[in-house]
Amino acid sequence: MSRPHAFIRPDTWLFLRLPNETFRLIEIKLNTIIDVGKLGSFPSNLLVGRPYYHTYEILEKQDGEQYSRLRIVPQAELNAEAGLDEPVAPEESRGEPSPPGGNGVPDSFDLLAEDGTVLMKNNRLTIDDASRQQLSQTEIEELKKSAGGKEIIEKILANHAGLAEKTAFSKAKYTLRKHKKYLKRFSALPMDLGNLIDHIIDKEAPRIMEMREESLGLVGAWSHAHFSGIDQVDTNEEGRKVGGGRWLTVDDTGGLVVAGLAERMNILFPPTARDINDSPEPAPHESNEQGLQTNGDAKVAKPNSHRDFAIPSSTNSITLLHPAVQPNVSLLKYFGYDTSNPYLPPEEMEHPLHTHLKPLTWLQLLHPSEDPTYTEPEQASEETMAGWKSSKRGTYFKKRRRWERCKTIVDETREGGFDGLVIASHMEPVTILKHTVPLVRGGGHVVMYSPTIEPLVKVMDFYSKERRTAYIQHLARDEIPDEDDFPVDPRLLLATSVQTSRIRDWQVLPGRTHPLMTSRGGAEGFIFTARRVIPIEGGVEARGNFNAKKRKLVTSEEATTAASPAPVNALIDSVKEATEVKE
Amino acid sequence: MARPSPFFHTAPTATADSLAILHLTRDNLLPIKLQTTADDGYAEGAVTNTRFGSFPHSTLIGLEWGSQVRASKVDTGTRGRKGKNAKKQEAAEDNGVAEQSNRKRKSDEQPEDTPASPTKKFKSSNGEKANGGKIDTARPPIEAGSGFIHILPPTPEAWTASLDHRTQVVYTPDYSYILQRLRARPGSAVIEAGAGSGSFTHAAARAVFNGYPGDSSKLSKRQSQGKVYSYEFHEPRVQTLRDEIRDHALEGIVELTHRDVCNEGFILQDNTPPSVDAIFLDLPAPWQALKHLSRSTPNSPLNPHSAVHLCTFSPCIEQVMATVSALRKAGWTEINMIEVQHKRIDVRRERVGLKEEGLRGVNASAASVDEAIGRLREVETKLSDFNASRAVTNSANREEITTNTSGQKHPSKQERLDRIKREAEERKLYKEGNLVHRTVPEVKTHTSYLVFAVLPRDWNEDDEKRCGEQYPVDDIMRGTPKDGKTESSASK
Repeated sequence: MSRPHAFIRPDTWLFLRLPNETFRLIEIKLNTIIDVGKLGSFPSNLLVGRPYYHTYEILEKQDGEQYSRLRIVPQAELNAEAGLDEPVAPEESRGEPSPPGGNGVPDSFDLLAEDGTVLMKNNRLTIDDASRQQLSQTEIEELKKSAGGKEIIEKILANHAGLAEKTAFSKAKYTLRKHKKYLKRFSALPMDLGNLIDHIIDKEAPRIMEMREESLGLVGAWSHAHFSGIDQVDTNEEGRKVGGGRWLTVDDTGGLVVAGLAERMNILFPPTARDINDSPEPAPHESNEQGLQTNGDAKVAKPNSHRDFAIPSSTNSITLLHPAVQPNVSLLKYFGYDTSNPYLPPEEMEHPLHTHLKPLTWLQLLHPSEDPTYTEPEQASEETMAGWKSSKRGTYFKKRRRWERCKTIVDETREGGFDGLVIASHMEPVTILKHTVPLVRGGGHVVMYSPTIEPLVKVMDFYSKERRTAYIQHLARDEIPDEDDFPVDPRLLLATSVQTSRIRDWQVLPGRTHPLMTSRGGAEGFIFTARRVIPIEGGVEARGNFNAKKRKLVTSEEATTAASPAPVNALIDSVKEATEVKE
Repeated sequence: MARPSPFFHTAPTATADSLAILHLTRDNLLPIKLQTTADDGYAEGAVTNTRFGSFPHSTLIGLEWGSQVRASKVDTGTRGRKGKNAKKQEAAEDNGVAEQSNRKRKSDEQPEDTPASPTKKFKSSNGEKANGGKIDTARPPIEAGSGFIHILPPTPEAWTASLDHRTQVVYTPDYSYILQRLRARPGSAVIEAGAGSGSFTHAAARAVFNGYPGDSSKLSKRQSQGKVYSYEFHEPRVQTLRDEIRDHALEGIVELTHRDVCNEGFILQDNTPPSVDAIFLDLPAPWQALKHLSRSTPNSPLNPHSAVHLCTFSPCIEQVMATVSALRKAGWTEINMIEVQHKRIDVRRERVGLKEEGLRGVNASAASVDEAIGRLREVETKLSDFNASRAVTNSANREEITTNTSGQKHPSKQERLDRIKREAEERKLYKEGNLVHRTVPEVKTHTSYLVFAVLPRDWNEDDEKRCGEQYPVDDIMRGTPKDGKTESSASK
């Protein structure tokens, strides 16, 4: 029953969300110090083994101790501070809105005037002036040295001349702001795709092509990527591989799309160390260090098999086409996968991506003979090898292994039959589709993400109904369709569609519920989806009623004569009554 | 091993008894079960009729998935007259469709090749079936001249799109985001309360699937089996969904329980609670179910060893406020409410210009100022020519009527339209005009508000003590950390 994020494991990446809502990305290792800027520093051992999603407070340093200790702040306390606990606790009555009174207005709206009449509190008398705070900046700085965050806030509130004039809402806002400023707290959030996206999109959105979580969700859903649950790839009548849970991807998001697919295919998170009863237990720390320092050294490899160029898995895998010599999947390191170092600490198992992620270059796909890795290294006889030094023998076998792995990946990819194709790339989409769509099996999914719509509009146009019709007419006349007009075979994709999704964040507070006033702009993020289909050789006549609006007037004879050779799938939705199933 | 679910494994070809999605149009998908025989009286065996023609299943079975299929000539007409008692109602329906199909068929160019004799044979086979026999040899289907569809393997997206609206459907833009936020991964256990039409059920099952039950070889020893615990209190819906789960070979991955979770909690049929990592509540009053979703209640359905993610799906803001307030009281954290705004985009070429006059789907006004001026000049010349010619007619020779002062003959409007139409045949219309995009005419502007929350795992002093012993800090606190180095937070 172990979950990757059951508790904070040593040697993993995680986020600390600071009071100002920014994310700190840290790699946690045992026996080290975590320094969170002005919030302070504390030993990593105080966080390891603890649960995620809690809010931790960095306590004041105790006498004789170099670093701070941590305390988990209970949720009830957090709610109370934010003025969200509805039954007002006496010691926390700093003006949180109480539950609505009989008239539907929270009681705290009301202010009793001297003569007992009820006045409505409002912002009319609010004075915007820094002098309302009677503590000077230097005094606050002094306080910071001597007192804890809570005390500072108490003092600041006590010294605010106008606090009593504030409405409950404005007071709550003020208090919250002071809390954020002076409390030394953070939340520990696990390394998952949502948090990673939130983190990157704030700092360097172009690195992931500004792909928001909702876009990644859509890409994942329409790609139909999932764990395949089979051991063997099916073959069709011609003996070619079909399916087997293999997805083809072109990814310029630094590995985010690969990570998204891998998560769905159960190959993103490394198998976790044994957790008996899910209790945190000592990690094999010493060996960890060793394993990490001897990167890629054959000494730590499992003695019985060389895993540097392992033969990749034939099922449940992601094939990654990349334009450079090496794939850019740098984000995968946060999930424990390092392309240059496939080894995890020996105690643990190999990262699944090591055998389930199959990278190849465009050159290897389209012109494998020009790629030196694909060319078989010379085979040496037993006798020759016997005369070699062991290091030379090692190099020889390494070369052979590298070639074997490359050949397996390239040959399998060129054979096609992929379950789906997922693209998020800066390259011209049509040039990608031209070479990759034929590699997708019939019924397979094609998904393409683009931060802006223009590239996808072009793709839609190259697969448009009109162009397809023209293409079929060319074929019917035994002409070879012009490459410029038909860079891709428009018959191969069905139900091409472009969509976009954006979430809108709301603030939900008692009596103050509304959409957030500001949020992030940037690229809208569009997703192109389609299904790969197998066209019938030698055109087809469409049938159906083409004038949806006039359907009541058209007699059956007209309906048929009006039929043009346009493909049926692009017809306007109509004549629902005719779509009856009888089984 | 259990029969693989058609949603998780697609064989190279469509086989008998498999679930297939017939793609009629982008928004018209028809799920069918491919059958070798059927007792609904077609000479060709099982047949599916669509508005694009009839498709005997024998023409679909054995095809590569994704294939385009031509319609076949199927005699839908005579079948309706059989007057089977048991299917009287259905027959009445069939009649309607059959007549329609007949009319269409008559208009086909090819001569009718199903005259009286097949009808007779057909009737006798009907008789056989009434006695419990089967048609031994289904008649080989004959290709119709027109009409086709595509046959696709099922996916949660296709299934969702093909659903009839038993209840409010959770569509792909919503469920894809929800599952992403719920961190539903292979091996997760998920509660879905308010199974409804089953769209979320299928998507969630795909998300958590990491092997079939009882097939432990496929599962890593350290991983639990991914599972969807689905609850529904509406009996007929439970029945429909139960049948679907069986048909789709999702038994063991989806466990459906007929229960009102607000009042009765999340106990399964065998009186044990599940142990889940994520919860999706599509209920009218999700806050009523929250009391059963606490770590302290007996029979808590929450996984005690992981943080639990929750999402509620409510159309109204009042529901959201009640839910959020209940979540805060119950100690949930990371509470956040959002709505998904999703749009589909239409892409087309828009052609504008005078040369488009009379063509369909175009804007036949002037494409540019120059074109407008050209047309204005033309009209002016025509008018002046007309006036001039009238003057000529009145005064002098009738032979001059046909030519005008500018020496040109003005084509009539009909001639111009004919010429445009002729020219259009030669033009590459698919690449003319402006490529434009706009939101589709009908937009779902609001589906529901989504409330997300997380309940961290409980942590008490004993846990802290145990952790403190496991990862001691005393040495470090004294200023002698083992490694002596400071791990400054690397933030990127």
